[in-house]
Amino acid sequence: MQPDQSPPAEDAFSADLLRGHTDTIVLATLRRGDRYGFEIYKAIRDATGGAHEIKEATLYATYRRLTRDGLVEAYWGDESQGGRRKYYRITDAGRAVFRRNVAAWRATRDVVDTLLTDKEPRS
Amino acid sequence: MTTVHRLLDDAFAGVEPTAEVQDLKEEIRANLTSRAAELEATGAAPADAARQAVDELGDVRAVIAEAADPARSPAASSPTSSSAAYASTAQAMLANKVRPRPAFVVSLVFAGASTAALLALTLLGLSGNLTAPVGALVGWVLGAALGAGWIVGSSVAQETTTNHPVPGRRAAGYGLAAGLVVSGLGLVGIVVTDGPLWLTALAAPLLVSGAALFAGLGATQTNRKKAWFREVTAEHGTVGDRFDRDPEAAARFGILTAVIWVTAFVVFVVVGLAGGWAWSWLAFVVGWIAFMLLLAKMLFGGPAR
Repeated sequence: MQPDQSPPAEDAFSADLLRGHTDTIVLATLRRGDRYGFEIYKAIRDATGGAHEIKEATLYATYRRLTRDGLVEAYWGDESQGGRRKYYRITDAGRAVFRRNVAAWRATRDVVDTLLTDKEPRS
Repeated sequence: MTTVHRLLDDAFAGVEPTAEVQDLKEEIRANLTSRAAELEATGAAPADAARQAVDELGDVRAVIAEAADPARSPAASSPTSSSAAYASTAQAMLANKVRPRPAFVVSLVFAGASTAALLALTLLGLSGNLTAPVGALVGWVLGAALGAGWIVGSSVAQETTTNHPVPGRRAAGYGLAAGLVVSGLGLVGIVVTDGPLWLTALAAPLLVSGAALFAGLGATQTNRKKAWFREVTAEHGTVGDRFDRDPEAAARFGILTAVIWVTAFVVFVVVGLAGGWAWSWLAFVVGWIAFMLLLAKMLFGGPAR
């Protein structure tokens, strides 16, 4: 893989970092209710202000992985017109993994914050 | 809209249309249609909207290839599936072992002992070996119900080696349901052993709401097995007891269980009406023994011929 061109200075956002948490992000969008692919994609796009997104192709791979691991369950909706939509529902296992991943992210974020700021670490 | 379908056909061209591939195609189709509709709502021409929706999709070739041949996919050896390398279920079990929290074990022993003591007191009171006022009996039953509810609720909220914990509110629901059923059953016991009849008005709603809560929670229960366990079961095949492996045996067991308990209940009523209620409860003891023998024989017996 070729190194990315350095992003413009005002674009202070790491898409790679976001992609690294795709599984957890998808689980987060499902916590409040079942959604189908485009709704999940839109929720992520809108949350990042529309400027950044996780590619839909990446999301399909994520859905397959989450389904295989039993973290979400898929079922077909009963739309009368247009294509039938595949909805995803978070499972109890998915909620447990989500909680654990969020805790891990918070701990990591705090450590990185401490390391990257000039402040003396609290003793 | 036809353009979305044509572009989709192009993307899936040359891939063997297995059921899984068709599934993926239909899923992508619905999502593309939604995105194209969103673009059209902002004023794009239908053909442009379809083209842009497909462009935004990104490179789906890897996902399609995986759906076409799941065994040869790169995702099958992704870092999340670390247990694929274990040679046996026992090894995977050892590597993923979760020890129960000591505080939970201690409180479980305490709750179990007090609940058992309260149940024993209640049974002694009901059988007349211990003279106790109705108020005390009801108090013991409610105490036992509280203990049983706590045991059930806190147990399903624990993470185990193979299971993720049930979320807090659902775990509380399971505990509440168990408590309602136990208190309802206890009050029924007091009523049928010459207790005041009005207690039925208290027992019936408790029993019914407990059973309804159990049914509702059971119907909405989702997977809580851990990923490594699902993988190991898929790879090494049969884990678990005979009822998991042999659904026919489980069905036969269900029918025989119903027969045993209905018979015990009928005998209980008939003997009670004909010969008095003092000894008719023995029908349930016989039923219990028969049930346990059946369970032992069918659950741990050899495989079906």
